[in-house]
Amino acid sequence: MLPAMGGAPLETTTVDLSVDLAGLRLANPVMTASGTSGFGPEHAEYMDLRKLGAFVTKAVSPEARKGNPPERIVETRGGMLNAIGLANVGLERFVAEKIPFLQSAGIPVIVNVVGHSVEDYQTVCRRLDSIDCVAGLELNVSCPNVADGLEFGTDPQRLSKFVTAIRRDVHRAKLIVKLSPNVTDITETARAAIDGGADALSVINTLYGMAINVDTWKPILANRTGGLSGPAIKPVALYMVHRVYTKVAADLGVPIIGMGGITDWRDAVEFLLAGATAVAVGTALFVDPQAPIHICEGIAAYLNRRGLQSVRELIGKLK
Amino acid sequence: MQRDRVIQTAHVVANRRLCRDHYRLTFRLPMFPPARAGQFVHLSPERRLDDSPMESHDRWVSELDQPMLRRAFSIAGLRCTNTGVEVDVIYRVVGTATRWMESLRAGDPVSLLGPMGNSFPVSDRKPVAWLVAGGVGLPPMLWLAAALQETAKRVVAFCGAQTHDLLALTLDPTAQPDGSAKTATPSAKEFTKCGADVVISTDDGSLGFRGYVGSAMAAYHQANPVAADDLVVYTCGPEPMIRFVAEYCVARRIECYVCVERNMACGTGMCQSCVVPVRDTADSTGWSYRLCCTDGPIFEARNILWETPD
Ligand SMILES: Cc1cc2nc3c(=O)[nH]c(=O)nc-3n(C[C@H](O)[C@H](O)[C@H](O)COP(=O)(O)OP(=O)(O)OC[C@H]3O[C@@H](n4cnc5c(N)ncnc54)[C@H](O)[C@@H]3O)c2cc1C
Ligand SMILES: Cc1cc2nc3c(=O)[nH]c(=O)nc-3n(C[C@H](O)[C@H](O)[C@H](O)COP(=O)(O)O)c2cc1C
Ligand code: FES
Repeated sequence: MLPAMGGAPLETTTVDLSVDLAGLRLANPVMTASGTSGFGPEHAEYMDLRKLGAFVTKAVSPEARKGNPPERIVETRGGMLNAIGLANVGLERFVAEKIPFLQSAGIPVIVNVVGHSVEDYQTVCRRLDSIDCVAGLELNVSCPNVADGLEFGTDPQRLSKFVTAIRRDVHRAKLIVKLSPNVTDITETARAAIDGGADALSVINTLYGMAINVDTWKPILANRTGGLSGPAIKPVALYMVHRVYTKVAADLGVPIIGMGGITDWRDAVEFLLAGATAVAVGTALFVDPQAPIHICEGIAAYLNRRGLQSVRELIGKLK
Repeated sequence: MQRDRVIQTAHVVANRRLCRDHYRLTFRLPMFPPARAGQFVHLSPERRLDDSPMESHDRWVSELDQPMLRRAFSIAGLRCTNTGVEVDVIYRVVGTATRWMESLRAGDPVSLLGPMGNSFPVSDRKPVAWLVAGGVGLPPMLWLAAALQETAKRVVAFCGAQTHDLLALTLDPTAQPDGSAKTATPSAKEFTKCGADVVISTDDGSLGFRGYVGSAMAAYHQANPVAADDLVVYTCGPEPMIRFVAEYCVARRIECYVCVERNMACGTGMCQSCVVPVRDTADSTGWSYRLCCTDGPIFEARNILWETPD
């Protein structure tokens, strides 16, 4: 059985796990990945959320969305495909029904934002920037613009303009841009996001993928294609964090939230060494909703063994 | 609020073959929160996420033939023993997780989360209950039959399979009826011991009624009329089959509860993967999605939309 779930913050002996994410202090570097722990209450049934560095919500759009028909997920070797379709209750119900819980959670809350137009994103960001418990806004730019069908996040020039437009409406919350891995050169979109005014970057969102049923000759997902996540994508994610850190973000002092296939402390340490200031855990939560606790404890024990005082001594230290 | 259900290490007591491709896996647990028929457990290989620097680099996928995500299995039986609780699941070997389960031996640990989901509503109002099970829809019906024993209902279990050796039941050859499905007999020990009679069907006619289990139920209904108000139907199995039973009951205003299956990533309401479209007058479109894992897996037949509206 898992250790008893106490109410106290993580006990991590003598080491300092805190990190600074663009001026936002996180008690530890481990957060949830958007879309993998709902809006908080669902996850809180299985884990004391106060042990997280930050909580990241499922995507919020201006209007409620039902999302895609089932089947929405399928396991693939070492990972899974999802096509949830950004199902959410919409901005106003999010504020009325979800914010009070998040406010009471007592940890930094980052809201993932989606839309079909620049105005959609502006609407959500403007409203949430005025709500104190929202510490950060994470723009999910792996979403097509209805105006031209192209994703906001795949063309550097479009992305830069897009982020600039939203930056004007965000004064208090940290503005985080979540980069898509489905690009030729992720350092270009990383630079574009920073040019547009991003305070931090999330690296990476899911990779395109699909699975086919050979009996019916049909795709397994009703949406036909989906996003690949889980251990299978970790090497790709780690490489992209490393590239973004060394080519763009380190010089400009923009922190990275690394994610993609993190399941244990060792994975997390790899991302930190590659240049991530914090890490997010997604798919692993489905197997163990308490994975962030184990990861934090593992990082602390690792630091102890290495005689290090602070987790910050790992960030970007790849030789 | 944290729930009393937690992730536990369960140990295999037995993994016994019931018929072709079907096994009964029994676990022992030191404790298990109160559970009811219709609920499921969410199983995965036990992965040690503790801090051991010497462990292999990538423990989660070190065994490529093991599933990564948990899988849902209806609880087929539950007993308190003097050392804790024993939980039964019955599975058919069809893919990654069930092949892994087939390899489990007594004493092996597995990671178990549960009990999950809602349960079959049981009320005293209806004197007659029919349990309609197709293929691996059988397991929750076994436990439901045991639960219904206390309610003094007249219970008939309709059990269907593709062919005779895919029926995961202990059959009594002396009690096999003629195949017309007009009568129910004490033909399968699992149900007989709960006081329930059984109608058996196979798609190929190799045992009992030839055809789908829904047709067997309809044939029995014709031969044994019962007022809609007196009857409650519970069903579980492949989607076309449960849909047939659900629509049959809705058309006749018979109360009917359906155990629905979906691919699940989390089983805990976090990922939104397991949606079932249902009628919803509170929604402007008249329908909305419910989660199979936390709102289900049991849904009332008249609420389910079998085709997702556009
Ligand atoms: C509430 C609930 C209760 C359940 N109760 C039971 C129960 O009591 N007993 C039981 O046996 N099952 C039960 N299930 C189903 C169970 O959870 C598993 O889905 C099932 O056992 C198959 O798991 P698997 O990993 O062996 O198969 P998977 O590997 O997940 O495959 C499932 C099917 O999909 C096909 N498939 C999967 N991936 C691909 C791909 N990439 N390409 C082509 N085809 C693919 C496989 O061939 C197979 O037919 C229940 C499910 C739910 C939701
Ligand atoms: C079921 C599911 C839903 C997701 N929903 C969102 C989402 O709403 N917004 C978003 O930016 N990313 C979403 N993601 C992507 C994750 O936040 C994360 O970037 C990705 O899964 C890689 O991390 P992982 O391998 O640890 O899961 C989702 C991922 C999964 C598996
Ligand atoms: S399986 Fe994740 S919400 Fe139901």
